[in-house]
Amino acid sequence: MKAIKINVNKQMDGYTFSISPSIREQIKELIPNAHPANNIYIAYDTKSNFELYIDNIESHIFPVLLGIANKDLKKIEQIELVDTQTGHTHKVNPSFDKEI
Amino acid sequence: MRGWNVAIPEVDVGDDIFVVQDENGTLRRVQVKTSTSKVRKTGFSAQFQIPFKQLKNISNVPVHYVFIARLKDFWSEPVIIRQDYLLDHYENNNLGSEFSGKIILYFSFTDSKVECSGQDFTKYISDYTDFPIIEH
Repeated sequence: MKAIKINVNKQMDGYTFSISPSIREQIKELIPNAHPANNIYIAYDTKSNFELYIDNIESHIFPVLLGIANKDLKKIEQIELVDTQTGHTHKVNPSFDKEI
Repeated sequence: MRGWNVAIPEVDVGDDIFVVQDENGTLRRVQVKTSTSKVRKTGFSAQFQIPFKQLKNISNVPVHYVFIARLKDFWSEPVIIRQDYLLDHYENNNLGSEFSGKIILYFSFTDSKVECSGQDFTKYISDYTDFPIIEH
């Protein structure tokens, strides 16, 4: 399976994490009982320095956005977080949630 | 017509219409794209442009693109595509072409079908799935 690409859009008071319809189909093929979402939005108070927290919430975001249990994250080899404004890609091993 | 409240932004910098379901605050962002069309042997065709940067930036309220072509004295049925689906077609199905920061899309309308870069967009004709009729 190709890497799961998650688009990350930083806004003034939070982040939107989204996956494309074709990625949603891939996930459902790989994990039949998965219920992936289109996007999830994590809101913070404006000027709360939420950038400091973003690396710590990834492990919570993946199961919710991809609609799978934590144990099923092992079936996904790699996740790429793509900043939609800069194109910068941050690769993550979802099993251990460590940067590659 | 469908019971949604509509607001037009005062300054034209991105979205054309904000559509709100008043009861629960459900918000839709709508970008209307219009074009004149050329008559073809079978049907007609129209060209539309979308800023690539806008298409890529998917926020928590994705944009719904509404494509409408004008042919002589009538308008085509609207082709309604949500942003993430259009971006998916662009990234995976070689949809359109990129030029000067914009994506150029060619739609061909024949009978009751619509195609774009060989992709069948007929299912998007008057697709009001995300705009169900609201009873007041």
